[in-house]
Amino acid sequence: MHQLVGYHRPKSLAEATGLLESPNRMPLAGGTTIVHDGGGHPVELVDLQALGLGTIATNGSHVELGATATLQAVLDSEMVPDAIRKAAKADQPSTLRTLATVGGSVGAAEGESLLLAALLVHDAIVNFADDQSAPLAEVMSNGLSPGDLIVSVSVTTGGSTAMAATGRTPRDTPIVAVVGRRNDDHTRLAICGVGPTPQLVEEDSLGQLEPPTDFRGTAEYRKRLAEVLTARVVGELS
Amino acid sequence: MTTITINLNGTPTTAEALPHHSLFRILRELGMFSVKYGSATGETGAAAVLFDGVLVSSEMVLALKADGHSVTTVESLNTESGLHPIQAAFATTGALQSGYSAGAMVLGTMALLERNPDPSEEEIRDMLSGILDRETGYVKPVEAVLRAAAVLRGDSVESFAPLIVPTLTDGTNAATIDPNDAGPLASPSVPRVVPSIDVPDMAVVGKGEVKVDALKLVKGNPAFTDDIEPRGMLYAKVLHSPHAHARIVSIDDTAAVALPGVHAVLHHGNTARVKYASGGQSWPNPHPYDQVSFDDTVRHVGDRVAAVAAESIELAEEAVRLLDVTYEVLPAVFDELEAIQPGAPVIHSETDTEEIYDRDRNIVHHFEAERGSVEAAFAAAPKVYEGTFRVHQVQQVPIEPHISIAWLDSDERMVVRTATQVPFHTRRMLAPLIGMDVKNIRVIKPRIGGGFGAKQEMLIEDIVAHLAIATRRPVRLELTREEEFWASRTRHPQTITFRSAVDGDGNLTAQHMRLVGNTGAYGTHGYTVQAVSGLRGLTSYNAPNKRFDCDVAYTNIPVPGAYRGYGAPQAEFALESHMEDIAHDLGRDPLEFKRQNWVKLGDELNIAPHIGERATDGTVELDEYPRVMSSGIEECVAQGQRSIGWHRRLDPQWRQPADRPHIRRGLGFAFCMHGSGIPFLDMGGCSIKINDDGSFNMLVGATDLGTGADTVLGQIAAEVLGVPLEDIIVYSSDTDVTPFDTGAYASSTTYISGTAAKMAAEVVRKRIKERAAEMLGVKEPCTLELHDRRIWAPDGRSITMEELALHTLHWEDQEQIMGTASFMSPDCPPPFAAQFIEIEVDIQTGQVEVMKMTMAVDCGVAINPITASGQVEGGMVQALGYAHCEEYAYDDKGRMLNDRLGPYKIYRADEMPQTEVFLVQTLEDSGPFGAKAVAEIPKDGVAPAIRNAIINATGVAINNLPFTPERVWSALRSAGV
Repeated sequence: MHQLVGYHRPKSLAEATGLLESPNRMPLAGGTTIVHDGGGHPVELVDLQALGLGTIATNGSHVELGATATLQAVLDSEMVPDAIRKAAKADQPSTLRTLATVGGSVGAAEGESLLLAALLVHDAIVNFADDQSAPLAEVMSNGLSPGDLIVSVSVTTGGSTAMAATGRTPRDTPIVAVVGRRNDDHTRLAICGVGPTPQLVEEDSLGQLEPPTDFRGTAEYRKRLAEVLTARVVGELS
Repeated sequence: MTTITINLNGTPTTAEALPHHSLFRILRELGMFSVKYGSATGETGAAAVLFDGVLVSSEMVLALKADGHSVTTVESLNTESGLHPIQAAFATTGALQSGYSAGAMVLGTMALLERNPDPSEEEIRDMLSGILDRETGYVKPVEAVLRAAAVLRGDSVESFAPLIVPTLTDGTNAATIDPNDAGPLASPSVPRVVPSIDVPDMAVVGKGEVKVDALKLVKGNPAFTDDIEPRGMLYAKVLHSPHAHARIVSIDDTAAVALPGVHAVLHHGNTARVKYASGGQSWPNPHPYDQVSFDDTVRHVGDRVAAVAAESIELAEEAVRLLDVTYEVLPAVFDELEAIQPGAPVIHSETDTEEIYDRDRNIVHHFEAERGSVEAAFAAAPKVYEGTFRVHQVQQVPIEPHISIAWLDSDERMVVRTATQVPFHTRRMLAPLIGMDVKNIRVIKPRIGGGFGAKQEMLIEDIVAHLAIATRRPVRLELTREEEFWASRTRHPQTITFRSAVDGDGNLTAQHMRLVGNTGAYGTHGYTVQAVSGLRGLTSYNAPNKRFDCDVAYTNIPVPGAYRGYGAPQAEFALESHMEDIAHDLGRDPLEFKRQNWVKLGDELNIAPHIGERATDGTVELDEYPRVMSSGIEECVAQGQRSIGWHRRLDPQWRQPADRPHIRRGLGFAFCMHGSGIPFLDMGGCSIKINDDGSFNMLVGATDLGTGADTVLGQIAAEVLGVPLEDIIVYSSDTDVTPFDTGAYASSTTYISGTAAKMAAEVVRKRIKERAAEMLGVKEPCTLELHDRRIWAPDGRSITMEELALHTLHWEDQEQIMGTASFMSPDCPPPFAAQFIEIEVDIQTGQVEVMKMTMAVDCGVAINPITASGQVEGGMVQALGYAHCEEYAYDDKGRMLNDRLGPYKIYRADEMPQTEVFLVQTLEDSGPFGAKAVAEIPKDGVAPAIRNAIINATGVAINNLPFTPERVWSALRSAGV
């Protein structure tokens, strides 16, 4: 919840980063997580739409997803690995998928985001406006700092992928979901619904998970789902 | 303010916006009324528009972000006369019920077909995934998109009409179904009509006419409550309680009152204390009158504390924040069984609420009824069974929230334009609260964006009326989605125990239903909903001895009230589960066991008169009891069995697929029976007059809230008057203009108001014949016939309806031919239905996936098979949510944890099971053209059918709803599966 009191639409990355140096400003991409309720601290928005950050490009074994590329654009792009496309579709319904963005999803770091799990198994690297880069897992773990401006997310392609999820209905936000990718005899697994953000895990360390309990599933149940769904994904990949 | 420019529907348009303003808000200010509010966070999709050609939820686009972009709304299609092919497809396929989200769906279709002129059903469902629809079950909207695509591609399309399906039974006896017979092949959206030889072919009745309000809905014309802007209108907001139970020690409103732009702040300290019950019911409303407009005690999180009216929503919100309230927090209780225990917190300790049955134990009502002696029967029976079931709290979730606008007109009468199912009850109930006579209040019901019972309530009309009096300005109040969850109405949770005695031949000899209902903080519909539970729970099966015991408990949960089905879904879940369990224990096929005992043609509904609002003393035998006078249940069962592939329930290879070891499949069945209105209570009125061109104005008090009532009533009148439906101009409802009607509830509109429409039309027809006989020189007016817009003499001569109208209005013995009638029924003919469900259970995770739902309904003669099947499709999907995924979740303080759509999960278009609907005709002599009710029975059978399918799949019985993954997983684990 926010109290929105100002709006800027910078025309260059430099202008944007300059604006974002002020602590009361935050970037605006899709806007699906920003809700004005009149309360909270006053916030000014820095709209990224004019910065040309919405492109999706391939570079050999990598694909670069622009920060303001919408989830619908990710879904529609044949350059993007299938698991990421499917996950982009699963994360939002049609009328919000056209607004929500890659960068916004990373910023929100929601624990049930299948897209983030799919990015994780594709070795996602988050690229910032100051030319710094960091693995997605690290970015989510540490959180974004004021002034951070994501410009793109790079993922590696190739390999086979599988995913499994349990929800109340077929398209429900998953209670727990597992995404796996096998490439060069190496398997990466990412799990949603067992912590504050999706996380990379090893198959033999699932017992160390400490999932939360909420109205959709107890910690005990989520641990069980993690085991069952991981086994299915691993089985499908092998 | 910043000036923005958007290319709106092809025209550069400027608007003023602040940083927090949404595109949705700007579009509404610019008069784009097709863009509707569903929530502030975009999940409903009701406000979806095309933004640079892409479908987006406009609430989530900031207005300043939209500067320089193009925006398209459905108004862009309204430049030509007639309908765009996409709009026409939505109208002709019955895809419009309330039409509240029609603009979004039409725009989504435009964008989809632009990208892909020949989309798959999966692509269509994905497009619709962001537009939640609580009404159609998405079945007919998908058909509309397919049809629009075909038309725009230039393909030929056939007219959208019901499919006639041959009968499988003789109408009375069960049929053997050929496992190789797959049944009719047609789109799921097409209603399968199984005709009865008793029903004659008619000109308008029984036809899939396009809804009379289709044009305004599909064009997004201003038709709903919020689509007017009275000059000087103020905006209201309500301060809701953060506590489940508290005494208000003090309210300091100084700062709020002092805020410039705030015109009134109302609370218990400055508002008259007039007791009332908010349920929209006939006079005298059932006691107790346990509410006041603003109380000094709050009894649930979300309860009213105060209300303000200000120049803008933002100012009103700021004023609410400035109210300084001191609470003394009191202990709270949420569970109905805990609430009635000694020592539980007393929720209504105030002394001015009368007729609480046991105030100290929070028992607001206690009632019982008995025929015969169940205890004697239990003592004598070889087998006695008992089962206890718990049903949970869910919400109606109309996509249009509650909204009311009130003002004093030039005569200083109070006008309330409001989203209500009960305009006449609202007028009467509002009067004492605001200190005005009924004659000085006018309630207008415009188009309604769904209600499902949530709007069978005088919920917020008193607030806007109080504020309009205080400010002498028009005042508007609209609930947010979150407020809708905790400050509106919900379905009653219940704990139900059935006991049944069975003799050696498998006949029920006694049934005892013990019910504890949870009416939350206030009584409202607490008595009547629980009474209907008893009625539905104890009239479906024959047994000579029956007993109903019921306690209705106050608790501190947000208030349950009326919700489509009105107590029946709870009762039928328990009953159909209980009967299933008995059958399994007896080693009987559940359907056969139920068939042996369910009520059949001519059977007595033996406890019905002793339960409910007009119940007679349960200890006194009546001379006569109501009987079943029409039933098509065997044909329903046969059609349903064939549709679902019922034979597969016994096939182990099907139930346990070899290639998916963690999956178990199952089929479930539920017998459903409902009512058609409330006998000796519900009444509807209708008046009809002829116009110069031979058309007719028809005024009805009945309240079309998206159900198609106006269309059905118009078809009935058109059939009587021998004109096409387009010649009937239907208007509903306005307490100054239309006749009285109790309102849209209790499955009464087609049966009760429909009969009134038929009777009024018959009055008009009689006079038309008399005048036409004079014009034609025919001695016996009764020999004339009306059809094809003409009045026909036996010898083949005729005059047109227009000629008759002009003659009688202008030429000779001038008169206004008109007729008025009203109808109250002593009968309540039950519609019957067979609900079949196919599921898959993941035994490792507990996830249940519903694969197919088939409902075959005997609703008598469906006046409009397309709208009737739409009712069944939408009702089944709501019922699916009840059974499967919808649930209020609270913390230990009574705060709702999932007051947003998504966490509160309702089904969307891209995850729907297959559905198939059969309308099995019977001729109910007491109904208009043979009709019975159809709107509520689809709510009754889904939950028990899923539960029974889980037994078929896994052998595990689960007695609590909903069947969420962990609940099922826990049950499977406990059972060792």
